[in-house]
Amino acid sequence: MSAFLDRLGSGPPLLLDGGLGTMLMARGLAPGAAPELWNRERPELVTAVHAAYLAAGSEGVHTNSFGGHPVRLAAFGLADRCEELNRAAVEAARASRARFVVGDLGPTGEYLPPVGHGDLDVWRAGFERQARALAEAGVDAFHLETMSDLREARLALAAARSVAPGVPVMASLTFERKRRGFFTIMGDPLAGSLRALVDAGADAVGANCSIASPDMADLAREARRLVPGRLAIQPNAGQPEMTVDGMRYSQEPAAFAGDLAPLAGLGVAALGGCCGTDPAFIAALAARLRFSP
Amino acid sequence: MREAVVQGDADQARALAEALVATDGNLLLAVEAGFAAGIRRVGDLWEAGEYFLPELVQGAEAMKAAMEVILPRLQASQAGHEPKGRVVLGTVAGDLHDIGKSLVGVLLSANGFEVHDLGSDVPVGAFIAKAREVRADIVAASALLTTTMTAQRELVRAVAGADFGRPVRVLVGGAPTTAAWATQIGATHAENAMRAVAVAESLLR
Repeated sequence: MSAFLDRLGSGPPLLLDGGLGTMLMARGLAPGAAPELWNRERPELVTAVHAAYLAAGSEGVHTNSFGGHPVRLAAFGLADRCEELNRAAVEAARASRARFVVGDLGPTGEYLPPVGHGDLDVWRAGFERQARALAEAGVDAFHLETMSDLREARLALAAARSVAPGVPVMASLTFERKRRGFFTIMGDPLAGSLRALVDAGADAVGANCSIASPDMADLAREARRLVPGRLAIQPNAGQPEMTVDGMRYSQEPAAFAGDLAPLAGLGVAALGGCCGTDPAFIAALAARLRFSP
Repeated sequence: MREAVVQGDADQARALAEALVATDGNLLLAVEAGFAAGIRRVGDLWEAGEYFLPELVQGAEAMKAAMEVILPRLQASQAGHEPKGRVVLGTVAGDLHDIGKSLVGVLLSANGFEVHDLGSDVPVGAFIAKAREVRADIVAASALLTTTMTAQRELVRAVAGADFGRPVRVLVGGAPTTAAWATQIGATHAENAMRAVAVAESLLR
Protein backbone atom coordinates (compact mmCIF):
# COMPACT_ATOMS: atom_id res chain seq x y z
CA MET A 1 0.00 0.00 0.00
CA SER A 2 1.20 3.51 -0.71
CA ALA A 3 2.40 5.83 2.04
CA PHE A 4 -0.46 8.13 1.10
CA LEU A 5 -3.09 5.46 1.66
CA ASP A 6 -1.40 4.40 4.91
CA ARG A 7 -1.67 7.95 6.17
CA LEU A 8 -5.24 8.38 4.90
CA GLY A 9 -6.30 5.22 6.69
CA SER A 10 -4.90 6.00 10.12
CA GLY A 11 -4.57 8.75 12.69
CA PRO A 12 -6.14 12.19 12.63
CA PRO A 13 -7.51 13.56 9.35
CA LEU A 14 -4.89 14.29 6.72
CA LEU A 15 -4.72 18.06 6.51
CA LEU A 16 -4.76 19.25 2.89
CA ASP A 17 -4.37 22.81 1.62
CA GLY A 18 -6.79 25.61 0.74
CA GLY A 19 -7.50 27.86 -2.23
CA LEU A 20 -4.76 28.14 -4.83
CA GLY A 21 -6.09 30.40 -7.59
CA THR A 22 -6.85 33.34 -5.29
CA MET A 23 -3.38 33.01 -3.73
CA LEU A 24 -1.78 33.15 -7.17
CA MET A 25 -3.86 36.19 -8.08
CA ALA A 26 -2.64 37.90 -4.92
CA ARG A 27 0.87 37.33 -6.28
CA GLY A 28 0.05 38.92 -9.61
CA LEU A 29 -1.67 36.28 -11.74
CA ALA A 30 -3.96 38.27 -14.03
CA PRO A 31 -7.68 37.49 -13.72
CA GLY A 32 -8.67 35.47 -16.77
CA ALA A 33 -5.16 34.10 -17.30
CA ALA A 34 -4.44 30.36 -17.20
CA PRO A 35 -3.05 29.58 -13.71
CA GLU A 36 -1.30 26.47 -15.11
CA LEU A 37 0.93 28.66 -17.26
CA TRP A 38 2.62 29.87 -14.09
CA ASN A 39 3.93 26.34 -13.50
CA ARG A 40 6.37 27.16 -16.28
CA GLU A 41 6.59 30.93 -16.18
CA ARG A 42 6.58 31.62 -12.42
CA PRO A 43 7.20 28.24 -10.77
CA GLU A 44 8.87 29.88 -7.76
CA LEU A 45 5.63 31.72 -6.94
CA VAL A 46 3.57 28.53 -7.25
CA THR A 47 6.05 26.80 -4.94
CA ALA A 48 5.81 29.72 -2.51
CA VAL A 49 2.04 29.26 -2.22
CA HIS A 50 2.50 25.54 -1.53
CA ALA A 51 5.16 26.39 1.06
CA ALA A 52 2.81 28.84 2.78
CA TYR A 53 0.30 26.02 3.20
CA LEU A 54 2.95 23.67 4.55
CA ALA A 55 3.98 26.31 7.05
CA ALA A 56 0.34 26.57 8.09
CA GLY A 57 0.18 22.85 8.77
CA SER A 58 -0.83 21.16 5.49
CA GLU A 59 0.59 17.67 5.06
CA GLY A 60 -0.41 17.47 1.44
CA VAL A 61 -0.73 20.08 -1.30
CA HIS A 62 -2.69 20.00 -4.55
CA THR A 63 -0.75 20.63 -7.73
CA ASN A 64 -1.61 23.77 -9.69
CA SER A 65 -3.38 21.74 -12.37
CA PHE A 66 -7.11 22.20 -11.69
CA GLY A 67 -7.52 23.51 -15.24
CA GLY A 68 -4.97 21.11 -16.71
CA HIS A 69 -7.41 19.07 -18.78
CA PRO A 70 -6.72 19.73 -22.46
CA VAL A 71 -10.33 20.77 -23.08
CA ARG A 72 -9.93 23.51 -20.48
CA LEU A 73 -6.43 24.44 -21.61
CA ALA A 74 -7.76 24.78 -25.15
CA ALA A 75 -9.59 27.95 -24.08
CA PHE A 76 -6.16 29.52 -23.68
CA GLY A 77 -4.66 27.88 -26.76
CA LEU A 78 -2.61 25.63 -24.48
CA ALA A 79 -4.09 22.18 -25.16
CA ASP A 80 -0.92 20.89 -26.78
CA ARG A 81 1.05 21.85 -23.66
CA CYS A 82 -1.06 19.63 -21.38
CA GLU A 83 1.77 17.23 -20.49
CA GLU A 84 4.34 19.97 -20.02
CA LEU A 85 2.16 22.15 -17.76
CA ASN A 86 0.95 19.23 -15.63
CA ARG A 87 4.49 17.92 -15.20
CA ALA A 88 5.65 21.38 -14.20
CA ALA A 89 2.79 21.58 -11.69
CA VAL A 90 4.15 18.50 -9.94
CA GLU A 91 7.69 19.86 -9.99
CA ALA A 92 6.54 23.17 -8.45
CA ALA A 93 4.72 21.26 -5.71
CA ARG A 94 7.66 18.91 -5.08
CA ALA A 95 9.95 21.91 -4.69
CA SER A 96 7.94 22.93 -1.62
CA ARG A 97 9.00 19.64 0.01
CA ALA A 98 5.44 18.70 0.82
CA ARG A 99 5.08 15.26 2.35
CA PHE A 100 2.32 14.45 -0.11
CA VAL A 101 1.85 15.94 -3.55
CA VAL A 102 -1.70 15.43 -4.74
CA GLY A 103 -2.26 15.69 -8.47
CA ASP A 104 -5.29 17.91 -9.00
CA LEU A 105 -7.73 17.14 -11.84
CA GLY A 106 -10.66 19.51 -12.22
CA PRO A 107 -13.63 19.16 -14.57
CA THR A 108 -13.41 19.82 -18.30
CA GLY A 109 -15.72 22.83 -17.90
CA GLU A 110 -18.03 21.40 -20.55
CA TYR A 111 -21.41 19.75 -20.03
CA LEU A 112 -22.98 16.72 -21.58
CA PRO A 113 -26.16 17.07 -23.69
CA PRO A 114 -28.79 18.42 -23.30
CA VAL A 115 -27.01 21.07 -21.22
CA GLY A 116 -23.95 21.32 -23.46
CA HIS A 117 -22.08 19.55 -26.21
CA GLY A 118 -19.45 17.63 -24.25
CA ASP A 119 -18.10 14.44 -25.81
CA LEU A 120 -17.25 11.60 -23.42
CA ASP A 121 -14.55 10.19 -25.70
CA VAL A 122 -12.77 13.54 -25.90
CA TRP A 123 -13.09 13.99 -22.14
CA ARG A 124 -11.72 10.54 -21.46
CA ALA A 125 -8.70 10.97 -23.72
CA GLY A 126 -7.96 14.28 -22.02
CA PHE A 127 -8.18 12.87 -18.50
CA GLU A 128 -5.82 10.08 -19.55
CA ARG A 129 -3.28 12.58 -20.88
CA GLN A 130 -3.45 14.69 -17.74
CA ALA A 131 -3.35 11.77 -15.31
CA ARG A 132 -0.45 10.15 -17.16
CA ALA A 133 1.56 13.37 -17.05
CA LEU A 134 0.88 13.85 -13.33
CA ALA A 135 1.70 10.22 -12.54
CA GLU A 136 4.92 10.21 -14.56
CA ALA A 137 6.02 13.31 -12.68
CA GLY A 138 5.49 11.39 -9.46
CA VAL A 139 2.32 12.45 -7.65
CA ASP A 140 1.41 10.55 -4.47
CA ALA A 141 -2.29 10.57 -5.31
CA PHE A 142 -4.87 12.06 -7.63
CA HIS A 143 -7.74 14.25 -6.51
CA LEU A 144 -10.59 14.53 -9.00
CA GLU A 145 -12.40 17.51 -7.61
CA THR A 146 -15.18 20.06 -8.07
CA MET A 147 -16.99 17.59 -10.32
CA SER A 148 -20.63 18.57 -10.80
CA ASP A 149 -21.58 15.57 -12.92
CA LEU A 150 -21.19 12.05 -11.54
CA ARG A 151 -20.66 10.76 -15.07
CA GLU A 152 -17.63 12.99 -15.50
CA ALA A 153 -16.21 11.99 -12.11
CA ARG A 154 -16.57 8.29 -12.96
CA LEU A 155 -15.01 8.83 -16.34
CA ALA A 156 -12.04 10.66 -14.80
CA LEU A 157 -11.68 7.91 -12.21
CA ALA A 158 -11.64 5.21 -14.86
CA ALA A 159 -9.15 7.20 -16.93
CA ALA A 160 -6.82 7.72 -13.95
CA ARG A 161 -7.01 4.05 -13.01
CA SER A 162 -6.27 2.91 -16.54
CA VAL A 163 -3.11 4.98 -17.01
CA ALA A 164 -1.78 4.87 -13.42
CA PRO A 165 -3.26 1.87 -11.59
CA GLY A 166 -0.90 2.25 -8.62
CA VAL A 167 -1.78 5.86 -7.79
CA PRO A 168 -4.52 6.31 -5.13
CA VAL A 169 -7.52 8.37 -6.22
CA MET A 170 -9.69 10.74 -4.20
CA ALA A 171 -12.87 11.84 -5.97
CA SER A 172 -14.88 14.86 -4.83
CA LEU A 173 -18.10 16.20 -6.23
CA THR A 174 -19.44 19.66 -5.60
CA PHE A 175 -22.89 19.82 -4.04
CA GLU A 176 -25.47 22.48 -3.42
CA ARG A 177 -27.87 22.36 -0.52
CA LYS A 178 -31.45 22.10 -1.69
CA ARG A 179 -34.54 21.74 0.45
CA ARG A 180 -34.54 18.02 -0.29
CA GLY A 181 -30.88 17.51 0.54
CA PHE A 182 -27.50 17.81 -1.14
CA PHE A 183 -27.32 17.50 -4.93
CA THR A 184 -24.90 18.41 -7.71
CA ILE A 185 -26.28 20.94 -10.20
CA MET A 186 -26.88 17.99 -12.52
CA GLY A 187 -29.13 16.41 -9.89
CA ASP A 188 -26.80 13.70 -8.56
CA PRO A 189 -27.75 13.04 -4.91
CA LEU A 190 -25.07 13.02 -2.19
CA ALA A 191 -25.12 9.48 -0.85
CA GLY A 192 -25.92 7.73 -4.12
CA SER A 193 -23.16 9.49 -6.03
CA LEU A 194 -20.47 8.99 -3.40
CA ARG A 195 -21.41 5.33 -3.08
CA ALA A 196 -21.13 4.98 -6.84
CA LEU A 197 -17.61 6.41 -6.71
CA VAL A 198 -16.65 4.04 -3.87
CA ASP A 199 -18.03 1.15 -5.90
CA ALA A 200 -16.04 2.36 -8.91
CA GLY A 201 -12.88 2.03 -6.86
CA ALA A 202 -12.12 5.51 -5.46
CA ASP A 203 -9.84 5.32 -2.40
CA ALA A 204 -11.58 8.31 -0.84
CA VAL A 205 -14.70 10.22 -1.85
CA GLY A 206 -16.01 13.54 -0.77
CA ALA A 207 -17.17 17.05 -1.42
CA ASN A 208 -15.46 20.35 -2.11
CA CYS A 209 -16.34 23.89 -3.17
CA SER A 210 -19.79 25.51 -3.60
CA ILE A 211 -20.83 25.43 0.05
CA ALA A 212 -19.35 26.80 3.25
CA SER A 213 -18.28 24.98 6.38
CA PRO A 214 -21.60 24.93 8.30
CA ASP A 215 -23.41 23.23 5.40
CA MET A 216 -20.36 21.14 4.62
CA ALA A 217 -20.26 19.83 8.19
CA ASP A 218 -23.88 18.72 7.82
CA LEU A 219 -23.02 17.14 4.48
CA ALA A 220 -20.09 15.26 6.03
CA ARG A 221 -22.30 13.86 8.79
CA GLU A 222 -24.89 12.71 6.29
CA ALA A 223 -22.22 11.16 4.08
CA ARG A 224 -20.57 9.45 7.05
CA ARG A 225 -23.92 7.89 7.94
CA LEU A 226 -24.73 6.69 4.41
CA VAL A 227 -21.46 6.14 2.57
CA PRO A 228 -18.84 3.50 3.32
CA GLY A 229 -15.20 4.38 2.81
CA ARG A 230 -12.87 7.30 3.45
CA LEU A 231 -14.20 10.84 3.20
CA ALA A 232 -12.45 14.01 2.04
CA ILE A 233 -14.06 17.36 2.84
CA GLN A 234 -12.99 20.79 1.54
CA PRO A 235 -15.51 23.65 1.89
CA ASN A 236 -15.32 27.26 0.73
CA ALA A 237 -14.68 30.14 3.10
CA GLY A 238 -18.31 31.17 3.24
CA GLN A 239 -20.12 32.76 0.35
CA PRO A 240 -18.40 34.97 -2.21
CA GLU A 241 -19.51 38.57 -2.08
CA MET A 242 -18.63 40.99 -4.80
CA THR A 243 -17.84 44.49 -3.67
CA VAL A 244 -16.25 47.41 -5.47
CA ASP A 245 -12.99 46.44 -3.77
CA GLY A 246 -13.08 42.99 -5.31
CA MET A 247 -14.35 39.58 -4.35
CA ARG A 248 -14.45 38.70 -0.71
CA TYR A 249 -15.51 35.58 1.13
CA SER A 250 -17.74 36.00 4.10
CA GLN A 251 -16.11 33.70 6.62
CA GLU A 252 -13.35 34.00 9.21
CA PRO A 253 -10.75 31.25 9.79
CA ALA A 254 -11.89 30.56 13.37
CA ALA A 255 -15.49 29.82 12.33
CA PHE A 256 -14.28 27.62 9.49
CA ALA A 257 -12.02 25.64 11.81
CA GLY A 258 -14.77 25.42 14.42
CA ASP A 259 -17.10 23.76 11.92
CA LEU A 260 -14.54 21.35 10.47
CA ALA A 261 -12.51 20.21 13.48
CA PRO A 262 -15.35 18.15 14.98
CA LEU A 263 -15.43 16.08 11.79
CA ALA A 264 -12.20 14.47 12.96
CA GLY A 265 -14.29 12.63 15.52
CA LEU A 266 -16.46 11.21 12.74
CA GLY A 267 -13.45 9.61 11.12
CA VAL A 268 -13.25 11.92 8.10
CA ALA A 269 -9.99 10.99 6.39
CA ALA A 270 -8.94 14.31 4.86
CA LEU A 271 -9.83 17.95 5.50
CA GLY A 272 -8.91 21.15 3.75
CA GLY A 273 -10.34 24.25 2.16
CA CYS A 274 -11.48 25.42 -1.25
CA CYS A 275 -12.29 28.83 -2.74
CA GLY A 276 -11.57 31.76 -0.46
CA THR A 277 -9.54 29.80 2.06
CA ASP A 278 -5.90 30.69 2.59
CA PRO A 279 -3.11 29.54 4.93
CA ALA A 280 -4.79 31.34 7.86
CA PHE A 281 -7.76 28.97 7.50
CA ILE A 282 -5.50 25.94 7.39
CA ALA A 283 -3.49 27.19 10.38
CA ALA A 284 -6.70 27.70 12.37
CA LEU A 285 -7.88 24.22 11.45
CA ALA A 286 -4.49 22.69 12.28
CA ALA A 287 -4.58 24.32 15.71
CA ARG A 288 -8.08 23.06 16.39
CA LEU A 289 -7.23 19.54 15.25
CA ARG A 290 -4.24 19.43 17.57
CA PHE A 291 -6.48 20.10 20.54
CA SER A 292 -9.41 17.98 19.42
CA PRO A 293 -9.98 14.56 20.89
CA MET B 1 -48.26 26.20 -23.14
CA ARG B 2 -47.13 26.41 -19.55
CA GLU B 3 -46.93 22.64 -19.32
CA ALA B 4 -44.92 22.31 -22.54
CA VAL B 5 -42.23 24.50 -20.99
CA VAL B 6 -42.38 22.79 -17.59
CA GLN B 7 -41.98 19.42 -19.32
CA GLY B 8 -39.20 20.80 -21.49
CA ASP B 9 -40.97 19.72 -24.67
CA ALA B 10 -39.67 22.07 -27.38
CA ASP B 11 -41.63 20.42 -30.20
CA GLN B 12 -44.88 20.75 -28.30
CA ALA B 13 -44.14 24.37 -27.34
CA ARG B 14 -43.37 25.25 -30.96
CA ALA B 15 -46.55 23.55 -32.20
CA LEU B 16 -48.67 25.40 -29.65
CA ALA B 17 -47.06 28.70 -30.61
CA GLU B 18 -47.70 28.02 -34.30
CA ALA B 19 -51.34 27.18 -33.60
CA LEU B 20 -51.69 30.38 -31.59
CA VAL B 21 -50.22 32.52 -34.32
CA ALA B 22 -52.38 30.81 -36.97
CA THR B 23 -55.58 31.48 -35.02
CA ASP B 24 -54.63 35.09 -34.27
CA GLY B 25 -54.67 34.48 -30.50
CA ASN B 26 -53.70 37.02 -27.87
CA LEU B 27 -49.93 36.81 -28.08
CA LEU B 28 -49.09 38.92 -25.05
CA LEU B 29 -51.41 36.92 -22.83
CA ALA B 30 -50.06 33.66 -24.20
CA VAL B 31 -46.50 34.67 -23.42
CA GLU B 32 -47.20 35.92 -19.92
CA ALA B 33 -49.75 33.37 -18.70
CA GLY B 34 -48.39 30.51 -20.77
CA PHE B 35 -44.76 30.21 -21.77
CA ALA B 36 -43.32 32.72 -19.28
CA ALA B 37 -45.42 31.22 -16.49
CA GLY B 38 -43.94 27.87 -17.47
CA ILE B 39 -40.35 29.08 -17.22
CA ARG B 40 -41.09 30.68 -13.86
CA ARG B 41 -42.47 27.33 -12.67
CA VAL B 42 -39.25 25.70 -13.90
CA GLY B 43 -37.37 28.25 -11.81
CA ASP B 44 -39.47 27.41 -8.76
CA LEU B 45 -38.87 23.69 -9.24
CA TRP B 46 -35.14 24.42 -9.47
CA GLU B 47 -35.29 26.36 -6.22
CA ALA B 48 -37.14 23.48 -4.60
CA GLY B 49 -34.52 20.98 -5.65
CA GLU B 50 -36.94 19.10 -7.91
CA TYR B 51 -35.35 20.29 -11.14
CA PHE B 52 -31.66 20.44 -12.00
CA LEU B 53 -29.59 21.82 -14.83
CA PRO B 54 -30.80 19.40 -17.54
CA GLU B 55 -34.47 20.18 -16.81
CA LEU B 56 -33.72 23.89 -16.61
CA VAL B 57 -32.00 23.84 -20.00
CA GLN B 58 -34.78 21.83 -21.61
CA GLY B 59 -37.41 24.22 -20.22
CA ALA B 60 -35.49 27.16 -21.61
CA GLU B 61 -35.16 25.44 -24.99
CA ALA B 62 -38.93 24.92 -25.10
CA MET B 63 -39.50 28.56 -24.21
CA LYS B 64 -37.08 29.61 -26.93
CA ALA B 65 -38.76 27.40 -29.53
CA ALA B 66 -42.11 29.06 -28.79
CA MET B 67 -40.65 32.54 -28.82
CA GLU B 68 -39.00 32.03 -32.19
CA VAL B 69 -42.51 31.63 -33.56
CA ILE B 70 -44.24 34.32 -31.52
CA LEU B 71 -41.73 37.18 -31.40
CA PRO B 72 -41.63 38.01 -35.13
CA ARG B 73 -45.44 38.15 -35.16
CA LEU B 74 -45.53 40.24 -32.02
CA GLN B 75 -43.01 42.66 -33.48
CA ALA B 76 -44.97 42.90 -36.70
CA SER B 77 -48.12 43.76 -34.76
CA GLN B 78 -46.21 46.47 -32.96
CA ALA B 79 -44.66 47.87 -36.13
CA GLY B 80 -45.66 51.44 -36.70
CA HIS B 81 -45.95 52.00 -32.95
CA GLU B 82 -43.03 53.78 -31.37
CA PRO B 83 -41.42 51.33 -28.93
CA LYS B 84 -41.50 52.15 -25.23
CA GLY B 85 -37.73 52.15 -25.38
CA ARG B 86 -34.77 50.52 -27.05
CA VAL B 87 -32.83 47.98 -25.03
CA VAL B 88 -29.48 46.38 -25.78
CA LEU B 89 -29.28 43.15 -23.81
CA GLY B 90 -26.65 40.51 -23.15
CA THR B 91 -24.78 38.34 -20.68
CA VAL B 92 -21.35 39.75 -19.90
CA ALA B 93 -18.01 38.48 -21.21
CA GLY B 94 -16.80 35.20 -19.73
CA ASP B 95 -20.30 34.17 -18.74
CA LEU B 96 -22.35 31.75 -20.84
CA HIS B 97 -25.55 31.84 -18.80
CA ASP B 98 -28.34 32.57 -21.19
CA ILE B 99 -31.67 31.57 -19.71
CA GLY B 100 -32.57 34.46 -17.42
CA LYS B 101 -31.23 37.05 -19.82
CA SER B 102 -33.27 35.62 -22.70
CA LEU B 103 -36.40 35.61 -20.58
CA VAL B 104 -35.85 39.30 -19.83
CA GLY B 105 -35.58 39.91 -23.56
CA VAL B 106 -38.79 38.04 -24.30
CA LEU B 107 -40.75 39.85 -21.61
CA LEU B 108 -39.42 43.26 -22.63
CA SER B 109 -40.31 42.56 -26.26
CA ALA B 110 -43.74 41.33 -25.28
CA ASN B 111 -44.26 44.54 -23.35
CA GLY B 112 -43.47 46.88 -26.19
CA PHE B 113 -39.73 47.41 -25.95
CA GLU B 114 -37.46 47.10 -28.94
CA VAL B 115 -34.89 44.54 -27.79
CA HIS B 116 -31.48 43.82 -29.29
CA ASP B 117 -30.28 40.60 -27.65
CA LEU B 118 -26.54 40.13 -28.15
CA GLY B 119 -26.54 36.68 -26.53
CA SER B 120 -24.00 35.58 -23.93
CA ASP B 121 -20.27 36.19 -23.43
CA VAL B 122 -20.64 39.76 -24.74
CA PRO B 123 -17.63 42.09 -24.40
CA VAL B 124 -18.21 45.61 -23.07
CA GLY B 125 -17.26 47.08 -26.44
CA ALA B 126 -20.01 45.13 -28.19
CA PHE B 127 -22.65 46.50 -25.80
CA ILE B 128 -21.44 50.04 -26.44
CA ALA B 129 -21.24 49.67 -30.23
CA LYS B 130 -24.76 48.21 -30.44
CA ALA B 131 -26.16 50.85 -28.10
CA ARG B 132 -24.72 53.55 -30.33
CA GLU B 133 -25.99 51.89 -33.49
CA VAL B 134 -29.60 51.45 -32.34
CA ARG B 135 -29.74 54.59 -30.17
CA ALA B 136 -30.49 52.51 -27.08
CA ASP B 137 -32.16 53.95 -23.99
CA ILE B 138 -31.12 51.05 -21.79
CA VAL B 139 -28.18 48.68 -21.75
CA ALA B 140 -29.11 45.56 -19.76
CA ALA B 141 -26.40 43.14 -18.62
CA SER B 142 -26.75 39.80 -16.89
CA ALA B 143 -24.02 38.07 -14.87
CA LEU B 144 -24.47 34.73 -13.15
CA LEU B 145 -21.02 34.35 -11.62
CA THR B 146 -19.36 36.37 -8.90
CA THR B 147 -16.28 36.30 -11.10
CA THR B 148 -18.05 37.92 -14.05
CA MET B 149 -20.05 40.49 -12.10
CA THR B 150 -17.13 42.89 -12.33
CA ALA B 151 -17.85 43.23 -16.03
CA GLN B 152 -21.09 44.99 -15.08
CA ARG B 153 -19.04 47.67 -13.37
CA GLU B 154 -16.81 48.00 -16.44
CA LEU B 155 -19.94 48.36 -18.54
CA VAL B 156 -21.29 51.17 -16.37
CA ARG B 157 -17.97 52.98 -16.70
CA ALA B 158 -17.89 52.45 -20.45
CA VAL B 159 -21.45 53.72 -20.85
CA ALA B 160 -20.63 56.79 -18.77
CA GLY B 161 -17.57 57.46 -20.91
CA ALA B 162 -19.22 56.73 -24.25
CA ASP B 163 -20.78 60.15 -24.81
CA PHE B 164 -24.01 58.97 -26.42
CA GLY B 165 -25.30 62.51 -26.36
CA ARG B 166 -28.35 61.42 -24.35
CA PRO B 167 -28.97 59.48 -21.17
CA VAL B 168 -28.37 55.73 -21.41
CA ARG B 169 -29.25 53.72 -18.31
CA VAL B 170 -27.63 50.47 -17.26
CA LEU B 171 -29.81 47.70 -15.90
CA VAL B 172 -28.08 44.74 -14.20
CA GLY B 173 -29.32 41.38 -13.03
CA GLY B 174 -28.37 37.76 -12.40
CA ALA B 175 -28.38 35.49 -9.37
CA PRO B 176 -25.36 36.90 -7.48
CA THR B 177 -26.27 40.55 -8.12
CA THR B 178 -28.03 42.70 -5.55
CA ALA B 179 -29.53 46.15 -5.37
CA ALA B 180 -26.58 47.17 -3.19
CA TRP B 181 -24.12 46.01 -5.84
CA ALA B 182 -26.01 47.91 -8.53
CA THR B 183 -26.02 51.07 -6.41
CA GLN B 184 -22.28 50.70 -5.74
CA ILE B 185 -21.46 50.57 -9.43
CA GLY B 186 -24.02 53.16 -10.54
CA ALA B 187 -26.57 50.92 -12.19
CA THR B 188 -30.15 49.84 -11.54
CA HIS B 189 -30.97 46.33 -10.39
CA ALA B 190 -33.76 44.01 -11.44
CA GLU B 191 -34.13 40.96 -9.22
CA ASN B 192 -35.95 38.86 -11.80
CA ALA B 193 -37.27 38.95 -15.34
CA MET B 194 -40.75 40.19 -14.44
CA ARG B 195 -39.30 42.98 -12.36
CA ALA B 196 -37.01 43.91 -15.24
CA VAL B 197 -40.01 45.07 -17.26
CA ALA B 198 -41.29 47.33 -14.48
CA VAL B 199 -37.81 48.65 -13.73
CA ALA B 200 -37.14 49.36 -17.41
CA GLU B 201 -40.42 51.27 -17.64
CA SER B 202 -39.58 53.29 -14.54
CA LEU B 203 -36.14 54.16 -15.93
CA LEU B 204 -37.71 55.79 -18.97
CA ARG B 205 -40.29 57.77 -17.11
